[in-house]
This record gives sequence, C-alpha cells and structure tokens, in this order.
Amino acid sequence: MLGPEFEKKIDAIVAKYPQPKAALLPVLWEVQKAQGHIDFASEQWVAKRLDVAPSHVHGCVTFYTMYKQKPSGTYHIQVCTTLSCMLRGSDELMKHLEAKLRIRPGQTTPDGRFSLARVECLGSCGTAPMFQLNDDFQEDLTLEKVDRLLESLP
Amino acid sequence: MERILTRNVGKEGSRTLAVYEAGGGYQALRKALSSMTPDAVTEEVKKSGLRGRGGAGFPTGLKWSFMPKEVDPKRPHYFLINADESEPGTFKDRLLMEEDPHLVLEGSLLGGYAIRASVVYIYIRGEFVRGAEILERAIAEAYAKGYAGRNILGSGWSCEVVVHRGAGAYICGEETALMSSLEGNRGYPRLKPPFPAASGVWGCPTTINNVETVANAPFILERGADWYLTVGKAPKNTGPKLYCLSGHVKRPGVYEAPMGLPLHELIYELGGGMLRDDRALKAVIPGGSSVPVLRADECEVDLDFDSLAAKGTMLGSAGLMVMDESVCMVAAMARIAHFYHHESCGQCTPCREGCGWLERVLARIEDGRGVPQDLDLLLSVSNNIIGNTICALGDAAAMPAISFVTKFRDEFQYHIDHKSCPTGTLAGRA
Amino acid sequence: MPKVTIDGQELEVPAGTTILQACQQRGREIPHYCYHDGLSIAGNCRMCLVEVEKQPKLVIGCYTPVAPGMIVHTESGKVKAARAAMMEFFLINHPLDCPICDQAGECRLQEYAVEHGDGRSRYTEPKLALSKAVDIGAHVMLDQERCIQCSRCIRFCDEVTKTGELAFFERGERSQIGIFPGKRLDNPYSGNVVDLCPVGALTLKEFRFATRVWYVKNTPTVCAGCARGCNVVVGVGQQQQLMTTRGQQDDRAKRIVPRVNADVNGWWICDEGRLSYLKEQQAVRLLSPRVGVGEAAYDDAVKSAAGKLQIAGRNGSLGAILSPRLVAEDVFAWKTALAAFGGALIGVRSILSGEDDELLVRRDKGANAKGALWILGEGATERRVLDAVASGKVKTVLVAGDTLDAADTAALEQASQGTVEVVFAGPFVSGAAANAAVAIPSASWSEADGTYVNFEGRAQRVRRCHLPLGEARPGWRIAADLLEAAGIAAPAWGASDDVLRDLGKAVREFQGITGESMGLLGVPAPTPAGA
Repeated sequence: MLGPEFEKKIDAIVAKYPQPKAALLPVLWEVQKAQGHIDFASEQWVAKRLDVAPSHVHGCVTFYTMYKQKPSGTYHIQVCTTLSCMLRGSDELMKHLEAKLRIRPGQTTPDGRFSLARVECLGSCGTAPMFQLNDDFQEDLTLEKVDRLLESLP
Repeated sequence: MERILTRNVGKEGSRTLAVYEAGGGYQALRKALSSMTPDAVTEEVKKSGLRGRGGAGFPTGLKWSFMPKEVDPKRPHYFLINADESEPGTFKDRLLMEEDPHLVLEGSLLGGYAIRASVVYIYIRGEFVRGAEILERAIAEAYAKGYAGRNILGSGWSCEVVVHRGAGAYICGEETALMSSLEGNRGYPRLKPPFPAASGVWGCPTTINNVETVANAPFILERGADWYLTVGKAPKNTGPKLYCLSGHVKRPGVYEAPMGLPLHELIYELGGGMLRDDRALKAVIPGGSSVPVLRADECEVDLDFDSLAAKGTMLGSAGLMVMDESVCMVAAMARIAHFYHHESCGQCTPCREGCGWLERVLARIEDGRGVPQDLDLLLSVSNNIIGNTICALGDAAAMPAISFVTKFRDEFQYHIDHKSCPTGTLAGRA
Repeated sequence: MPKVTIDGQELEVPAGTTILQACQQRGREIPHYCYHDGLSIAGNCRMCLVEVEKQPKLVIGCYTPVAPGMIVHTESGKVKAARAAMMEFFLINHPLDCPICDQAGECRLQEYAVEHGDGRSRYTEPKLALSKAVDIGAHVMLDQERCIQCSRCIRFCDEVTKTGELAFFERGERSQIGIFPGKRLDNPYSGNVVDLCPVGALTLKEFRFATRVWYVKNTPTVCAGCARGCNVVVGVGQQQQLMTTRGQQDDRAKRIVPRVNADVNGWWICDEGRLSYLKEQQAVRLLSPRVGVGEAAYDDAVKSAAGKLQIAGRNGSLGAILSPRLVAEDVFAWKTALAAFGGALIGVRSILSGEDDELLVRRDKGANAKGALWILGEGATERRVLDAVASGKVKTVLVAGDTLDAADTAALEQASQGTVEVVFAGPFVSGAAANAAVAIPSASWSEADGTYVNFEGRAQRVRRCHLPLGEARPGWRIAADLLEAAGIAAPAWGASDDVLRDLGKAVREFQGITGESMGLLGVPAPTPAGA
C-alpha cells in the first residue's frame, strides 16, 4: 500500500519499538498523512503489517479522536470549547464560524474547503480562545482576527 | 526573581542546541555521566525534594529509586516522558517543549541515566504537532553532538530518545493508560499493582515523569540539591514552578515562580488583575479542572502542594482557571462535566456510565429543566464514582462536581427554582 | 498459607489466592461480571468491590490477592452501597428488554439487580441507542444495547482462540463490542462467547427465541462429538401448551452448553459439539422396528434378529460392527450377547476426521473409542470384519449404534457385494439400516444412560436427557432381549448401572467404576496393568 517509499518509512518506525504493535499510533499517523483519513482497507493493511487483528486497529482508530475515518475539509478547524476557552468566548467563536461557514461542528462545507469540529482542551488556555487550523494553533482569537485569517487562506 | 525553568523562553533561537549550550546547557548531563553513578543522581534528586509536576506531586527521586539497581538484559528499563499535557487549564509543558526543547531533553536523559534506561519515549499529545517537530529537531541535534544515542559522551551508557505522538485522548496522560497507548492499544489504564517500576511498558521496569518534572533535573544536578532547597518552601514544596493562568485575567499565560506563590500575587500582579476591573473574582480552579474549585473567599492561599491540600483542593497541574462574577457556575461545571464525559475511556462501569449522567443532569439544570432532587442526585452519583474506578479520571470528574454543587449550591438551586440563571449571562451551550 | 478473615470467618487459603477466589472457596461467591476463571483479569465491572480493613478505598476482589491477617468484609454497608451503585450504573443505559431477551431467567443483570440493586433508578435521561440484532457470525448475534462491556468475549477471542475477532470500538459511554467490517466471528469455538456473556448481549442463533430458559430441563452429560468427552449440559425443551400445565412433557434438545471440568474441557466446548444435537435431530430416525422392508412389532423383530444371529453364531459366520459412539454398557452387552450366540468377529468403526486442534477438538470422533477398545481388545477393528465379509467367512453382520455418518457402513456393502445379511440396531435410518434384514431402533446419545471413556482413559457418565423417540430402547436392553428371544438366559439387567457392574467385573479397566464414582466429573484412567 502507498508504495515502497511509504513502506520504508513504516519499517523505520517499527524499528523504534521492541514490538511491532507499539508502532500502531505512529503508523496510523503516516497513513492519515498520506491519505487524509484512515479507511477500512488501510486498517487491514496496518493490522497485517503490525501483526495485530484488524478489529484491534479499528478499536484504536475509533478510540483516539484525531484519527479521521472520513476525509475532512482542506482546512480543518477544531475549536477548543473547554472551560478556559469558554470563559474567553469560545462559544461565540464557534457560533461565528458556524454562521460564516454555514456548517455545524462535525460537518464539511459542500466545496470541501472547510470542516469544523468542537474539541476538548488543546492546551492553549493562556491564549484563549483558540482553534487548531490543520496542524497549527491559532491563538488569542477575536472574531475580526478569524475573519482575516479565513480570508487569507489560499 | 530569577527565571530558572523558563530562562531561555523568549530568547532568540531558544530551540537550538547552540543557544542552549551557550547558556550552560548539557553541563549537568556531562557532570552526571562523568562523575556520578545513576544512584548518586537519584540521591541528589531525592535530596532536592522535587515532587512530580504532572498532578500527583509524588517525590521524583523516590520514584526513581523504586527501579531495579541492576538491568536484566531481557527486561530493559524505559523512561517515559509524559508530554500528553491535556488537563484543562494546563499549558506549561507545551511552552517548555516548544521554547526550550533541549532542556526537556537534558532532563529526560538525566532521568534516563538515573534509572538506567535504554530508551526514553516522549509521549506527546497528538495535537502538539509543532511541539513534536521541535523536539524531533532538537533530538537530531543532540544525537549529532553525542548527547543521545550510543555511548553518550563517552560514558559507555547508551540511550535512544524517541518521540511518540498520541492521537487525541486525555486519558493517556494517566501513566498506565500512557503505557497501554505506547504499546499500541486503546488508552486503557491498568490495574495496579504492579507499579511501573516493577512492570511497566512491555512488562519492563519503567518510570514515567512529567515534562516539567524532568526539566528541573538539570538544575538540581548542576547547582546541587542544597541550592534547590532554597527555592520555594522547603522541605516539601521546593523548587521553581510553572503556573498556568487562564480565564478572566488581564495577562493569562505561564508564570514561573518559586513554589508557594500566593494566589493573589499570581492573579493581581503577574496576571495583571481581573480581566474587567468592574467584575469581582468569583472562583478559581487552582490545579486543572480535576480539582475542587476555590470560592473567592478561599483564595488567600499559597500555590503549593500542601497549602492547597489544606484548603481541600490540590495543586494538580497548576492550571489556574480564574472566573469572575459573570460566570454561571452551573454552565462552568456543565462544561467541565462535558469534558470528562467526552474523555472517559469507558473501561470501567462507574466512570463510563457516571460521567455522561453527570453531564446530562448538569445540562438540564443549566437549561432550566432541573428538578429539586437533582442536586442531591449529582452529589450521590459523584460519590458513587469516587474511589470505585480503575484510575483517577472518575474522581477527576466527580470531585469538581461535588465542590461546585457544595460551594455554589444557592446558584444551582436558583436555576432549578427559577428556571433561569442568577448571573443573567446564561452562557449558551455549544 | 495465609490466614484471612472474611465476614468474621477465618480461613486459610493458598498464597496468591484472590479475595474473590477465597470467597468462592468459602462457598459464598461475591458478585462479579467481568471476572472469569478461564480468562485474564480485567477488573472493569467493579461489581466485586469489597472492603478490606485498613485500606482507604474498596478494592476489587477479583484482582486483590489475600494477605496474611487481611480482614475482608463482603457484606458491609459500604460494600452493599457500592454494589447498589454499580447496579444503578449498569442499568441506566440498559434497555430493560427482558421480556424479549433470551438471557432472561439466567441473566446476571437480573439476578444482581434483585440481590444487590436498589430496585429503582434515578436516571431520567434518554438511554443511549445502539445497534441491536447484529449478525456477527455463523452462530452469534450481538445486541450492543444490552452489553455491559465486561470484555469477556473479547478476552476469549484474544486469549483462548487467539483469533482476535472482537474488540471495543469507540470510547467512553459509546464504547461497544464490535467486529471488523466484513469479518465474521467464525472461529470453531465462537459459541462460548454466548455462554461467557453474563447478559443478553450475545445470543446463539440456534437458541434465540427457541424457548424460555425456565422451560428448559438441564441434564449434565458428556458430549459425543469426539474423543475429548467435553462435559456439557443438555437443555431439553419442555412442551408448554397450557398456562396451567404443571408436569411438562419433554420436547427435544434445545441447546448444549459446556460444563466446567478442568481435567477435560476447562470451561469451553467447540461449536460442532454445541450444535451436535441439531445433527442428531436432522438425521432421519428409525422409529419402529423393521423386518425386511416392512414395519414389525418389537417382539417379532427381536425374535427374527435373534434367529439370524444364533444361526450365524453357530456356523461361525457371525460378525459385528459397533459404533465407537456406543456407550460402554452397550458394547459390553453386545459382546456378551454375541458370545452367547456362539461367538462373533467384532470390530469397532473408526471415525477419523480433520486433525486434533490445539484446544479441544480431536480427530477421533469416537466418543467411546477407547472404552470399546478396553472391552473388545486392541485388534477389534472394523477392517478385520470387512475383510472377513469380503472373504466370505462372515455372512451375517450385526451393525449397532450410530456414527451420524452418511457413508455409514458403506464399506460393508462394498465388501459384501450385497451378499451379507445385516441385523441393525441403531437410532438412524442410514447406511446399513437401509438394507438390513432386521432393523431395531435404539436410543440415541441423548436418550440413554451410559459410560464414555475419552481418549485419555477418563470414564464419564452420559445421561439420558429426554425419553427415547418412537420405540427406541437402550442398546444393552435390545441385546438382552435378543438373548431372551433365543432362549438363552439373559443377564438380569434392569438398568444401565447393572450392565456397568457386570462390565466392571469382566473388564479390568472398568473395575470399581460406578455411576456414583464417576459423579459429575468422571474418573481418571486406571493405572495400566502391572504398573
């Protein structure tokens, strides 16, 4: 799956652990990086590569919230709504995003550009409110800042 | 006040080995590897009084001393760094990893040396993508300079350092869940005993320390335990501490101070005071959302393990969430309950079933659909969770609920009686 | 051995014993869901919380080893409150669909709710909706709403069959047992997860909605599926036509479940054994005796058979092929009768199929192959009888018992090329029965008492689970009737125990073996002669 370069990468990851199974999380990360999400076929491939049952892989994919079982938008916006962010206006931020993108948390815009998620504490409470835009934290947000940021996206 | 743990924070190039070394970096590791036995390192840390910064406050040196003194080649020792910083209100480890990764590395290697580890795994929460990248770069630099890998600094001790990313699960900050996760499983906490030092990851002797905890080690080794004891409140609350200040203050952020910083000083001096001058302080959660809340009138307290324990709460991860009088305590508690409901791993019955129940009742009360028996129900369900679960997550969900309902009972009662919120700012639930 | 005090009673238990096990030994089990003797300890249900003096929190009995001087309370107020709390937690998201649940009547949720619950729930929120009636395998259905997530089934597939089909998916409150999309729970031991499930989350397709468990009469017996001799309980349905009916009539077997025997099958049975009653029920039964192609009265058939056997016996042309599924009593009775008729060349069929697996299944499907061997001696093979038929030496053959094998005695026909005369005494109309000169119906495995000797030489008790169908009688009784019909003094056998007593006198390996000595778990093989 995904070519010899990919397999080489997986081999290198597996080598970091005393047991292949331990490479499960990092290997799933690689799959997600390569394909954008993790489907059943990938789960089976990973199971075989790491010598675990496919059900075990699926159990892990569904346990950890960051593994995506279906594609998300080009820009995946995860809004932290836990207490510190709530105190600093994350609910208004979420409402603003919902109105602006016309989607609810868990949904993707019809053009596939944006997806929105409500997430729990991202460890950025001192710079609340914030969201994670793909891999990066966007902190100390105001509604104006959000508008500017979204407009600046290629 | 000298900044110790955060001395490099804000410096240009603070992430680079060059800047770290220029500030005396890796001298502690050199010293330990060239002139101290692993047990001597452990002894020094023990003497310093350093207690774990992850939440439980267990004496670090003592934890290290539980490890076998000989390494059975079939059961190598592992040192795990808990960088799964997920406790709501906590964001100090991220700062250290992103701003001074070599400090984290040096501390990890010192701990690894003390417990005779052959591999250090840094388990970093999945969301910290950049933090993981920064650590990876620092590790590559350290390998290149011989600070990690084979025969470190010619000492004969070899130790690999591996960054392992989590993937979105608060529970993996619990040390046995972290081990389950590292092994490639769902992050289920394990039954104890055995404790990690006897049988940890892959059944091998293991020690797990928080990022901030190990970041103290280079200073203890370099300057000596006697110096360390002069910082903070000896004998049991020693050393520098990172306080995470969030919520309704003017300048939220991570503040370093000697252990025992008065709470008022943190809020009103370091934090610049309440966010809005016209709103009074209502409550503070002092140690991350898992610990009992303090009412404003309980806030004359020093921020250290024992002073907060005396107030019936905990220093925890030193995540201080400040709430002003506009905050609806029902809404705040409902939000906390939502978190634990979302994060309960589901392995054991009371937590799996109880956390959702708590959230639903709280949401009802917040929405004006509470009934008179709900408050006693909340307390009863919480008490039925506490102490009956495999790990501390159940307690973490139940303790705040009890403290909120007990300390702000009138406000909860008001929601039930009047179907509305006394703060008038009923924060709409997302 | 540490001395502990449990509820005021001091007892000594081996080191390493857990509190739960110590309570079991004491005969007063503490409630539990996730713990199972045959699986690793999960400690997740929290039902077995008990109080240990000087411990700040309640501890789980399943995981906590006893320590010398430990003082345990299993009925204190704190413990009872915790159990009530756990029951409340278990039930908040449980559908409470007991009226249509197959587990009802043998459900640990029901039982503990009565024993330990509060009898009320304070939960007023909507219950979680999950999938019901999920078809996860050839024999197993899953109801995710009823599941209490004890993980027994997962651990079984991970640890016992090592096939790993099942896992928890999702997390927290929404955690659920699942199987990978497109995969099936199809290992040869899959049915055990149904027995393991303490609630009605996993049900057996073959037993779903078949009856209510309280209409099932349970008989401890031994599986006839292979030479392992797994200890089982056969559940026979009771016809329940009127609400006022008191004494019910036997229906047929509705299910087979394992019975714990550490020396034979542990806690498990294979699916083939579990469903062997269906194979029996699907086979066409011989309900009444036949002479030639026509039905005959039992006495007439017996008389006719006796005549044929007696003549052949006297002429030295008598042979017999016995099923290795015959109970030892039948084998001995036929041996006794044939000797009285003048002697016969006796062979036992050998039914081999597949391979021994790592768990229980044996290649040798002869449940009493070893017992027959003990009675008849090493050389008593079917082959020698067939050879004698082929050579024309044997002209009349008694075929007794069943093999549930479609090719049953097909080899006989070949060997005889249609010239041999068959006297048949067995439960099914198959193979030899079809062309028999006389066919007499005998009781099937679930219809008569007797003794099986497994491949390790353990003698175990087979019990009658329900009345024989039609005119079937135990094989040993038919053998005795044949002797009587031939005017030969028959042994005074009134019950299978009488046959066993004579067998014990005649065959060294059976010496001293009685129904009582076998009890529920059987007696291990005797030490070899001269040892």
